[in-house]
Amino acid sequence: MTLYGYAGEILRINLSKGRITVHNVTESSLKMYLGGTGLAVRILWDYLKPKVDPLSPENKFIIATGPFTGTLIPGSGSVEFCFKSPLTCIWGETRAGGCFGPKVKFAGYDLIVIEGSSDKPVYIYIHDDTVEIKNASHIWGKTVHEATEILLEETSRDASVACIGPAGERLVRFANVMVDYDRAAGRCGGGAVLGSKKVKAIVIDGDKDIAIARPREFYEAALEAINAVKAQQTRLGRYGTLGGLASLNKTGALPTKNFQTTFFEEAEKISGETLAEKYLIKPRACFACPIGCGRYVWVPWGKYKTPPHEGMEYETVDMLGCQTLVSDLEALIKASYLCNQYGIDTISTGNVIAFAIEAFERGLITEKDTGGLKLEWGNPDVVLSLIEMIARREGIGHLLAEGVKRVSEKIGGKAVDFACHVKGLEVPAHDPRATSKSFAIQYAIGNPRGACHIEPVWPGLWDFSRIDLGLREYGLPWPPLSRFDEEVDKRVQAYRLLILYGELAGILGICRFPMQNRYDNALNLDRIVKLLTSLTGWDIAAKELLLISERVYTLKRTFNVREGITRKDDRLPKRLMEPVKTGPSQGQRVVNLDRMLDKFYEVMGWDRDTGKPTYNKLVKLGLADIAVILWR
Amino acid sequence: MKALIVIAERCIGCRLCEIICSFTHEQVINPKKARLHVVRLHSEPIDVPIFCIQCGLCVNVCPVNALSRNPKTGAIIVNNDKCVKCKRCLQVCPYGAILLDSTTGKPLICDLCNGNPACVNVCPTGALRYVSLEEFSLYRRMMYSRLLIKTHPHA
Repeated sequence: MTLYGYAGEILRINLSKGRITVHNVTESSLKMYLGGTGLAVRILWDYLKPKVDPLSPENKFIIATGPFTGTLIPGSGSVEFCFKSPLTCIWGETRAGGCFGPKVKFAGYDLIVIEGSSDKPVYIYIHDDTVEIKNASHIWGKTVHEATEILLEETSRDASVACIGPAGERLVRFANVMVDYDRAAGRCGGGAVLGSKKVKAIVIDGDKDIAIARPREFYEAALEAINAVKAQQTRLGRYGTLGGLASLNKTGALPTKNFQTTFFEEAEKISGETLAEKYLIKPRACFACPIGCGRYVWVPWGKYKTPPHEGMEYETVDMLGCQTLVSDLEALIKASYLCNQYGIDTISTGNVIAFAIEAFERGLITEKDTGGLKLEWGNPDVVLSLIEMIARREGIGHLLAEGVKRVSEKIGGKAVDFACHVKGLEVPAHDPRATSKSFAIQYAIGNPRGACHIEPVWPGLWDFSRIDLGLREYGLPWPPLSRFDEEVDKRVQAYRLLILYGELAGILGICRFPMQNRYDNALNLDRIVKLLTSLTGWDIAAKELLLISERVYTLKRTFNVREGITRKDDRLPKRLMEPVKTGPSQGQRVVNLDRMLDKFYEVMGWDRDTGKPTYNKLVKLGLADIAVILWR
Repeated sequence: MKALIVIAERCIGCRLCEIICSFTHEQVINPKKARLHVVRLHSEPIDVPIFCIQCGLCVNVCPVNALSRNPKTGAIIVNNDKCVKCKRCLQVCPYGAILLDSTTGKPLICDLCNGNPACVNVCPTGALRYVSLEEFSLYRRMMYSRLLIKTHPHA
């Protein structure tokens, strides 16, 4: 029987035993979880022993694609990596664009599960039905660009490469996985998991078909979606994600100086407009994306000379720039390039560097610890030096490579108060006090991996950007509240719908940008339903889709509960509870966190005291087997 | 009669043209079954769709006359029943624009979608265009002049 929209197989690679097996995906499990992170979370729940060390061979690394991946649907060049995170020791997922996800499907697989570990450095070369585990000692230690170049030469120029940099090899806890040279699956430390398994890279190529159930209907739906996205995301295409920096600053929502404030006086110097004017060679797109937010940039001369590469994203610039008060765009291009070459997450790196500078200022770390390096605000060379030291685990870098939670606990005392993380994941460049109060819910609890702005959704869409996403008919309160308003009921109700919608991106395998659209809601829920039904041939209604979304989302929470997460972990760092110091949002703070959380547990059907999904809720979501295990 | 051109600086490398090409011709999604291919070089700002310009060199070398022209569009048409998979067309194509279908082993050559190219309709930046032969000729002249400067700067 043909499965339309899917490849139909899961590839399982056990490195310890050198065993490679292929399993069929059953239609029943697909109808339950749809694919992508949905299937991945079920696999990790079923086959990962609780409380294993994330850097031990017991951890699994799952490469997941969804039914939308590698199709005509805008933004379908997506791939999700799922594992237990070495940074947070809970659910870890991280996504990248490029062409790797589609290639997984063209090679004939929906998911690839990598388990065990190798004694020697290896890379995995998958081309159609052949899977080879090959020696990688000649590329161990090489940067991302060097390794990718050698691998493509060795295998096929048509192939796509996901690899780790030297930081992943050295188990930096926020090491990332780099895809197609410059696309980063940044967060949660996936690079360290691959590094612990001694896997330098996965190279993949394939020429299999993806079959469509109702071609004519699908074609029309896809073209409608492409045209809607094409017509509306022009600003993102012109200036990249960095295009938002200047306007965020004007509204006082640009996290600055290790979250002491949300306003940066020199923001104009590092805006998307400045980048486009001086350093942009051209925009570049991922597979099947009509937006093209990627920035192919360089610094052709000077102290911070940097070769052409894809880089410079809003998060990167804020975390490495505004947070450390560096406003030299050339230095930031170089910093972003170095992070990508060494394979470290720019968000976590920027956060931990800003933390270190503040700790130095307060005398909690001294020149003795840093080997004579004066950590001062606004000095680009400090940022660049620390990036090198972290990636190589040299000097103070060895400590900082553990992530801000472990560093602050090791330093102790007051350091814990200005370490900005939730559950161990460093806070990114959006502020719950200033951008939207929904971020307070998102960081404290809404995101299963910790403090993250984009997964399951960018919650400011509702009240900051005032986009309805086509969810009004499903109960999205409208008009939205002011972004500072902490009226609990409406905000939590809106947030719940937003995450159920956003979670679909990881399940179906698409980028979130084509889903976040202002005027005509490019990939709104109705269009997603149309695409999914014509692609798979299954008649799935919008309500059912939201139910699957809730099932997957709740299962992630259940996974975290099994790893020991309780209500006391659902909190905001102390720094984010203090009032904003300067700028248009001066004085803003989060007041009603506990009430918002209470309401959130209630609407999600999670126990208010422990934070566990209730028995009845799990049964209602069709997860009775899991309810029994969780509540026995 | 019209012709396909690409304004290469505009291409962002999204490959929607490849995807839609495989879809409209084969009813499946598989960029390797497309009749045009986007080349991306990572170390240089190069994203360019390479496609058939309907020059007809392949028609002349086909030993079994499996290739002919559509009188309406001027596009080359492959007769799969006649094709003996000798790959001479691949050999003669100056642009590397012809690929083999991984399932049948027979060449995939752009048929201009019978006068309404799907790739042009989907291209998000307007890099691919289907223009009159006069415009095509003008564009070729400009392209060739630039090529001359690049390859023979002192000529």
